[in-house]
Amino acid sequence: MLCLTLFTYSMGKFGYSGTIPAMLLLLTVLIKSTFIIRDFMGLRGVSLLWRAIMYGWLWIITTAIAVTYLISIN
Amino acid sequence: MSNSTAIENEQRLLPGDLAIWFFIFAELLVFGIFFIVYSIQRLQHVELFNQYQATLNKETGAINTVLLITASYFVVRAVDAIKTNNISSCINWLYASLGMGTGFLILKSYEFYSKFSVGIGINTNDFYFFYISLTFFHFLHVILGMIIIFFVILFAKKGKYSAKEHTGIETAASYWHMVDLVWIVLFPLVYIIH
Repeated sequence: MLCLTLFTYSMGKFGYSGTIPAMLLLLTVLIKSTFIIRDFMGLRGVSLLWRAIMYGWLWIITTAIAVTYLISIN
Repeated sequence: MSNSTAIENEQRLLPGDLAIWFFIFAELLVFGIFFIVYSIQRLQHVELFNQYQATLNKETGAINTVLLITASYFVVRAVDAIKTNNISSCINWLYASLGMGTGFLILKSYEFYSKFSVGIGINTNDFYFFYISLTFFHFLHVILGMIIIFFVILFAKKGKYSAKEHTGIETAASYWHMVDLVWIVLFPLVYIIH
């Protein structure tokens, strides 16, 4: 997760913009958040309902952000 | 199996108290709406958002991310420690997480000060409205998380937790991880992606 944070910072520091950097950054959000939900929050193996709520929140947010950024870039 | 038994089984499976999870879901809903509204608002003022996003201090944002992730890791270690009845280790890990949280608050306060001292405020423009609102709302959650951890430390010192009974620590941990999770989305969204 620290490596992904360094990657995120580097993307911002060097000013990368456009579709691919935006999607890569959102991918890092998905990966890091999944780590936190599954391993830190301890939702691995928990009832499907709770996992669906947490991962559903994550995917809805990142998809909505991705769509708005894709519209703004294109 | 009756419905009530099924609910009880699910309750046992979730770490910590079930009530905190409803609170967490409510908090995530609020932050989620905030994130989506930010993205939609940005869509209408792309140039303005990109211009003022460039004025943010990405270094402090990145360091704050590291601090929160590390704090979350320390909380995980605290929960692991109490599960083996190692109370002193649990308390030390919780203190370490408080240290990381304090670092976050100091850096964030510096960031706020550097903006407010040059006259930037919530009314400056749409970008700063979202930047200040979102990060300050999250800032308050970090403070609340630290207060909860502080009380958990006090209870742990009084011997209220053990390998068999540590719901309070798991409850605090779940809340703290939620604070971390929100920042994981907030940092790239507000500071980086353009």
